[in-house]
Amino acid sequence: MANTESLDNVVLELRRGVIVLAVLSQLNGEQYGYSLLKLLSDQGLEVDQGTLYPLLRRLEAQGLLESVWKLEEARPRRYYVISAEGKKLLPKLKKEWAGIVSVMNKMLA
Amino acid sequence: MKLIDRYVTEVGKHLLVFKGREDIEKELRSTLEDMLEERAEKQGGSADEAMEIELLKEYGSPDEVATTYNPHPYLIGPRIFPLFLKILKIVLLSTAFGMTIVMIIELITQTPLMGSEFTEILGDGLGNILSTVISASGYVVLIFAIIERTVPDLGISKEDFDEKWDPASLAKEPDPNSVNRGELIAEIVFTFIGLAIINEIFYIPVFSDTFRRFVPWINAVFVTEILLDIYLLRKAVWDTATRIVKIAMEAGTIVIASIMLYTPNVITFSAEILKNIPESSSADIEIVARIFDIGVLIAFIVVIIVASIELVKAAIGLIRSYTRK
Repeated sequence: MANTESLDNVVLELRRGVIVLAVLSQLNGEQYGYSLLKLLSDQGLEVDQGTLYPLLRRLEAQGLLESVWKLEEARPRRYYVISAEGKKLLPKLKKEWAGIVSVMNKMLA
Repeated sequence: MKLIDRYVTEVGKHLLVFKGREDIEKELRSTLEDMLEERAEKQGGSADEAMEIELLKEYGSPDEVATTYNPHPYLIGPRIFPLFLKILKIVLLSTAFGMTIVMIIELITQTPLMGSEFTEILGDGLGNILSTVISASGYVVLIFAIIERTVPDLGISKEDFDEKWDPASLAKEPDPNSVNRGELIAEIVFTFIGLAIINEIFYIPVFSDTFRRFVPWINAVFVTEILLDIYLLRKAVWDTATRIVKIAMEAGTIVIASIMLYTPNVITFSAEILKNIPESSSADIEIVARIFDIGVLIAFIVVIIVASIELVKAAIGLIRSYTRK
């Protein structure tokens, strides 16, 4: 019991760091929260709504995302897209990620 | 759709965010409606209440959902916690030290040594020290909790308060207009405690009625100081207006301290205390009283010097900011 709990915690920690990178990488085009959730899930990354929405707000507050409300099918939707600042940061994050992956692959091989 | 509306309103009630509440509610509503629509399509019918209930159940209780948005799960977050600890230590040590001095003065002036009154004052004094230390800690926690919630994330980082000195910081030329946030926070805490002391929230036996006449003026300076510091914390840089306020405030401090310096018996043993001095030790008391008076004199002079330095610093900053343009 305690073992699965600590496994869950470690997995959660691992994923938490990855989600920011995943979100930034998928927002080159406009997406609203729910469509982004499905986009991530279609590619195999399941993210909880309770994680994604506050994260989007935080990234916007940090200036990495921009958002705009649009009325669609009589439903207002908040569309998010990566900002200029986010675009500058993304390649650096990608490089960082590649470094981590190669180091960890060697370590775990 | 009634249920979703009620659910969203309920989440809104639990949100602790200052701005963007409506945005969050609107976004949540549109998400829930999207999800409901999708489910209905999958099942090949239109959405009904049972479906809505199922969806909301899965989404989680309004309280839980609101918690994911609430930005401050900490009373005092990790970003200012190191500074909090540092200042708490200083405040606890200095208040305990100050109250011990107050107790010793009382012991010397009010009782024959080792009488029953002596133990009484000792007991009261220790109780007094304890309660003062506890309420001082309360003030520090309160001030930091407010700072945690009002000062933007930008700029304040752990590094600002790190004791480790980074040689690389030498290479960067510091912006002459930028404020030192650690210093400002410390100033707010100590000014707040100063306010509490001069308004006699803690028991201080040495303030005379003459002193109390100055209290409204000192309060005005202290409150201005706190407001200015909070404003600077948010703004992060000095500008012409804040420098002028600072200069005016320091000038006010110098004027008040100078007048107090030349007013006799501003801070002294009060008449009641003097009444209680037993005849036999009156000579000793006189010496203690004289040392105390000199201490007060030095304190006022220190205040005047410090305020003058601050005033000159602000004035130089003001002049430089114009000559640079």
